Amino acid sequence: MRLPRFRRLWIFLLILGPGLIAAMAGNDAGGTATYSIVGARYGYHMLWMLLLVAVSLVVIQEMCARMGVVTGKGLSDLIREEFGVRWTFFAMAVLLVANIAVTISEFAGIAASLEIFGITRYLTVPFMAMLIWFLMTRGTYKGVERIFIAMCFVYVGYIFAGVLARPDWGLAARSMVVPSFQFDINFILVSIAMIGTTVTPWMQFYLQSSIVEKGIKLKQYKYQRWDVILGSVAAVIIAFFIIIACAAVLHPRGIVIHQAKEAAMALRPFAGNYATILFALGLFASSTLGASILPLSSSYAICEAFGWENGISKKFREAPIFFTLYTVLILIGAGVVLLPRMHLISILLFSQTANGILFPFILIFMLLLVNKPRLMGQYVNSKFNNFVAGATALVLIILTIILIVATIAGRVV
Amino acid sequence: MVLFSEMFVSELIGIPVVDKLQEPVGEVRDIILSLGEKFPRVTGFLLKNPRGAVLLMGEIELVGKQFVVTRAIKSRIVYTDYTRLRPDEVRLVRHLMDKQIVDTEGARVIRVNDLKLAKVDQDIRLIAADVGFKGLLRRLGWLGFFTFIFRIFRREVPDALIGWDHVEQLKTDMAAGRITVPAKHISEMHPADIAAVISQVHTDEKTALFASLTDKTAAESLHELEPKIQALLLMTIDTKKALGILDKMPADEAADVLGDLPRENAEEFLRLMKPRKANKARGLLKHPDETAGGLMTTDFVVIPHNLTAQQVIEKMRAEAPEAETIYYIYFTDDQGKLMGVISLRDLIVAPPATLIDKIMVKDIITVDPETEQNKVAAIISKYNLVAVPVVDKENKIMGIITADDVIDFILPPISRRIRHLLG
Repeated sequence: MRLPRFRRLWIFLLILGPGLIAAMAGNDAGGTATYSIVGARYGYHMLWMLLLVAVSLVVIQEMCARMGVVTGKGLSDLIREEFGVRWTFFAMAVLLVANIAVTISEFAGIAASLEIFGITRYLTVPFMAMLIWFLMTRGTYKGVERIFIAMCFVYVGYIFAGVLARPDWGLAARSMVVPSFQFDINFILVSIAMIGTTVTPWMQFYLQSSIVEKGIKLKQYKYQRWDVILGSVAAVIIAFFIIIACAAVLHPRGIVIHQAKEAAMALRPFAGNYATILFALGLFASSTLGASILPLSSSYAICEAFGWENGISKKFREAPIFFTLYTVLILIGAGVVLLPRMHLISILLFSQTANGILFPFILIFMLLLVNKPRLMGQYVNSKFNNFVAGATALVLIILTIILIVATIAGRVV
Repeated sequence: MVLFSEMFVSELIGIPVVDKLQEPVGEVRDIILSLGEKFPRVTGFLLKNPRGAVLLMGEIELVGKQFVVTRAIKSRIVYTDYTRLRPDEVRLVRHLMDKQIVDTEGARVIRVNDLKLAKVDQDIRLIAADVGFKGLLRRLGWLGFFTFIFRIFRREVPDALIGWDHVEQLKTDMAAGRITVPAKHISEMHPADIAAVISQVHTDEKTALFASLTDKTAAESLHELEPKIQALLLMTIDTKKALGILDKMPADEAADVLGDLPRENAEEFLRLMKPRKANKARGLLKHPDETAGGLMTTDFVVIPHNLTAQQVIEKMRAEAPEAETIYYIYFTDDQGKLMGVISLRDLIVAPPATLIDKIMVKDIITVDPETEQNKVAAIISKYNLVAVPVVDKENKIMGIITADDVIDFILPPISRRIRHLLG
């Protein structure tokens, strides 16, 4: 009697992974910074938006996983095979720009976390860039990855911090259902960033190719689906508590976060004097994780789309474009952070806004693909899925237009 | 008559189709190709006109870089319905362009950037796949610009064409469930190259490709793949086929593969396999992968020690076909204890009547089943051995480890190296 249930659990645990990692990695440097800023600047006011983003995260990630399982192909493969070279070029250009922005933000996260300990970024960033490049190309990354993933669980501390900070639960609950909006450039910037850091272009490519790599079959899809859904829910819960903690601790004091150190204070109710260290560790781990995955995942996606040799275990001579791309991405990511007068928190926030602005383009490709019966058979999107994903794209596009108009108008005035 | 020299499919798509009197008929949307021959023949054009109809080659007068001209005037053109195409006919743009193909000469999987057509006698045939940078630029419409830039540096835009006779197409249409793996070319490739190809294609194609191989080729290729893919393949193909393949593998390789399957599935296979091989494999499975016991094979030649050189050679003729290496012959006493070893060379050059006892090497280098694989490698390398015997505490021979087993874990075949670190 008990055996089948036990076996089911075992299968589930085996498959568990890509969805959870992809969603948790969403809470990277940019994510943490954005959610902290949301809570610190606007208190509970943006929680309603987080709730909506949660729904689109679950729907979009599920869509992406389903496409991977049914077609057995990665997203960039599918775009290339279905839309030809020109559209692929466009999609890859979008992905590249978005991923460069995220890579920069990851290095900014590394710099910010270690500056908390008083180590200058001019030492830490070049060192970490070299270390990451070395770990990845030597293939010793897999072992290190576990450590970083484990370290990311520091963020669970936000759940305790959020509860212990005695937030105004009534107001929080009301803010989740009552939308409030400000027609102000900063508010729109932060809104786009919040959506863009939760559902990102790179995550779709990463998740789908991980699922393809795992060779998950349709029969196992129901388990995979739960992995994706639970992963998304977990990510949003953490985001929720980051906002709550910042809203309860930082917002009343008028701290709008100019430095990473200020964001760390939100962990105080949970960790007391260790809050800063804990925050720095979490930020460092998640940023390093992101800075390792992003350049690699981008290089894979682009090389696969154009049919160039790829693979980190190949030699430079065998896959020159792949390695050049990979190295250049790390160089840009680390290099921008080192430019004079770069404000780390601004980098973290704006990179997420850039992602939010670019995401609709990728999402439209995904929607076109997932609705093709020739590819998906009976697994094409439901109307509900199409509605949620379509609305996400539309909202992002509208917000972007408002942002552009407001910026131009601001300049003129 | 068709006036035509060489042309790329990307240049043909979208060009207008006109009738004899230059009246527009439609635009070229896709090209219909009849598979089967070495260089497949173009049989018609699918038009982008309100009717979405096909113009068979018989209706066409001329195919040029700017226009396709029909033989009849507009009102008298005979269209064919797309749904009435033969099963061996495919659409170039939909089924080949941008898809992955196998370059059987280079043993790699590549993406089709463009397709080259040429006039051969009276037919237009598909002669090559463009997989190079030039093809990408042509598709983007940037070829002219880049040619100009390259010319400033006195260079040519890098180009890569693969003759269609060296191309293996993997799969054409998913919905139709049609899998084209003619496998003629593929099965002529070396098993290690086949493994490299399998490791590069998508999951469904992996299975399709693998299932199309003969049991023997499949067995040899399977060994070269990374464990995760081995497990995937064995579990997705037909059980009967899987058993046939396992049967063709040496016991140590079969044990390696079974060791990577979930326990239930491995047990299932072991139950169904031929008892002799299953028992050998079971014995080998007990040893951890990274020790001498996990590395060894039980297919080796042992011969009683009290024979003459001639008798040994005769005995080997009878037993050797099963053995993994016969370069070393091991000799045991009645209890199966290892007594000595002789190389094939020494055996053959010895006078036929010589007693083996006299010429065999008695001071043998051996390893325990628990010896770590790196140590085994060090021993083989230090003493320049082709193989080393694995013995138990009583000096009974359990198996041998050959140098190529060791090379495989020191320098894994490319296909076995991790392709993606991600996921």
